[in-house]
Amino acid sequence: MIKSTESLHEILFLFLEVGLILGSLGVVILTNIVYSAFFLALVFVCISLLYLLLNADFVATAQILIYVGAINILIVFAVMLINKPQSFNFFPSWTTGDGITCAACTGLFFLLITTISDTSWSEIYLVTQSNNIVEQDLGGNIQRIGYLLLTEFLLPFELLSIILLVALIGAITVARREKILEMRVKSQALQAKEDFPTS
Amino acid sequence: MDLVKYLTFSMILFLLGIWGIFLNRKNILIMLMSIELMLLAVNLNFLVFSVYLDDMMGQLFALFVLTVAAAESAIGLALLVITFRIRGTIAVEFINCMKG
Repeated sequence: MIKSTESLHEILFLFLEVGLILGSLGVVILTNIVYSAFFLALVFVCISLLYLLLNADFVATAQILIYVGAINILIVFAVMLINKPQSFNFFPSWTTGDGITCAACTGLFFLLITTISDTSWSEIYLVTQSNNIVEQDLGGNIQRIGYLLLTEFLLPFELLSIILLVALIGAITVARREKILEMRVKSQALQAKEDFPTS
Repeated sequence: MDLVKYLTFSMILFLLGIWGIFLNRKNILIMLMSIELMLLAVNLNFLVFSVYLDDMMGQLFALFVLTVAAAESAIGLALLVITFRIRGTIAVEFINCMKG
């Protein structure tokens, strides 16, 4: 029984990772912006399922709600408002700058792979001491997150709500400036016509 | 071994995001999407360590990163729409021209 759940975990992990890598390659490489936006939605959903595999149910749900439901819709709206003429080749042409960044990223990849596999991760368990003595035995992820948000992380929580408020007001103010300018320009034009009537 | 696999894939996502920024210099919308990819990779990293160190701080911080990414995305896209409305192009090389 335990072996079957382990292999199920492995199979799901492999599927999600393949979907992730293909999706992010699609986001980065394709020239059509609409395809990139939808591949980004695939990446968000795959990451959310990966969070579910890691037993983080609240973050997975919040990820789907916020990223797919809000941010991706915003990106699709922005793609709709920005009407660029389409170039009809599927992949962009390769320049030498692309080759240099590809080489740099591949070098960084190999460096990080050796670093990750050489670090002895099992020794970290001895260093950290979980301070669960004060915390009660709350069942479930949401209860623990709620408890921590209201006791230990209260200041970041309130600051986050201020950040969201500022972002909301700022985005609305920035995006509607044109109408005020138009009205002002029109009223000035009417005023100029009144002062100097054309005879 | 499991931790190494998760960390490897998180690193691959992050490097793909960086590569996407350098590849799409002409298109700021895909640059914004690549930044979102990088934020996702960092989130995955936080959650993986939260599971392996049995600490709730990782999940909380992933929630904070989620919220800040949402706010930054909203403002970035609003600015992008305004820039396109005024200039008619979203090529990045013209953004340093401050003349309206």
